[in-house]
Amino acid sequence: MSDNAHDISLEQAKELVTLLEDGKQQQANQLLEDVYNRRNDKLFTSVGQLTRDLHEALQDFQVDPRIVQMTQDDLPDAQNRLLYVIEKTEDAANRTMDAVEACLPLADDMHHRVEKVMPAWNRLMSNDIQLNEFKSLCHEVDDVLKRCGENMPQVHGLMTEVLMAQDFQDITGQVIRRVIQLVEDVEKNLIELLKIFGKEEERRNAEKAGPAPKKDAAHAEGPIIDADQRDDVVGGQDEVDDLLSSLGF
Amino acid sequence: MDKNMKILVVDDFSTMRRIIKNLLRDLGFTNIQEADDGNTALPMLQNGDFDFVVTDWNMPGMQGIDLLREIRKDDNLAHLPVLMVTAEAKREQIIMAAQAGVNGYIVKPFTAVTLKEKLDKIFERIS
Repeated sequence: MSDNAHDISLEQAKELVTLLEDGKQQQANQLLEDVYNRRNDKLFTSVGQLTRDLHEALQDFQVDPRIVQMTQDDLPDAQNRLLYVIEKTEDAANRTMDAVEACLPLADDMHHRVEKVMPAWNRLMSNDIQLNEFKSLCHEVDDVLKRCGENMPQVHGLMTEVLMAQDFQDITGQVIRRVIQLVEDVEKNLIELLKIFGKEEERRNAEKAGPAPKKDAAHAEGPIIDADQRDDVVGGQDEVDDLLSSLGF
Repeated sequence: MDKNMKILVVDDFSTMRRIIKNLLRDLGFTNIQEADDGNTALPMLQNGDFDFVVTDWNMPGMQGIDLLREIRKDDNLAHLPVLMVTAEAKREQIIMAAQAGVNGYIVKPFTAVTLKEKLDKIFERIS
């Protein structure tokens, strides 16, 4: 839409022609210049308005002094906290596996020893044993009992270690909760930022908006935390198996 | 199934490699090596006489799906059975892995029973 106040009017044009026809060149030039300047004024006013808007927007945005602290301190701090979570959980997993790996041979050892005495033991229980076999069975059972007495406190200690390794949950839970709080704060500030600067951007995006770019399926998404709300993911191994067998697997 | 077969376990998390190694050991497999992504795994496979690969999908460097494709492209490795053990659970991805020639697909979290089942199935089909 043209702004009539700044456009050249028919009257002005006629006046210009009259001046030129009358040979009043200087006055004609002056009239043309006036019209031109009025148009320029409009441009200057617009730029001035934009500058004022931008300035005010920046002033408004600085109302939250935490934004600086967030970028300088809180976000790097959050990164460190999350790294700490990885460290703690890895440590706990390794402590647990250390203990389990130490337990398994003890369990295997007991199992083998018991298996070894079982045939003679079964014969004893069914009153079908020779005296010399009975004597050697006694020694073997004695051995099993002694070994059991030694191993079980060790297993108990290792199990306690597994139990204690779970203490990461409390610590990492607290750390993650703090990071969630920070993400919320950052989100709030980003929304404010978008409110101030985003209107123009929104309009431009709306103009060129096409379908959202399709994500590369090979791109790993990591663990799905909302499988029950999505229909593009499987809900467990059974569904994987069904899908694969439907493909002829 | 040859319990002495040489297995490569590929996962960027050492704890997951350790879990898989323990489960495989429980099933009687002891000849197991580890790699932390496709870029480390591929030269190991090319230079070593591996019989079986267990790989994650989501890894920095070369992802599991790309490792699988590299394996199928390489004449010397193309026959190698590959089991994917991953948290990636999109149908599209499972289909993609199947098309790339995966031999089995396990979604995390998984159980020892599932691992045994898939191993049995893979080697039953091969033999």
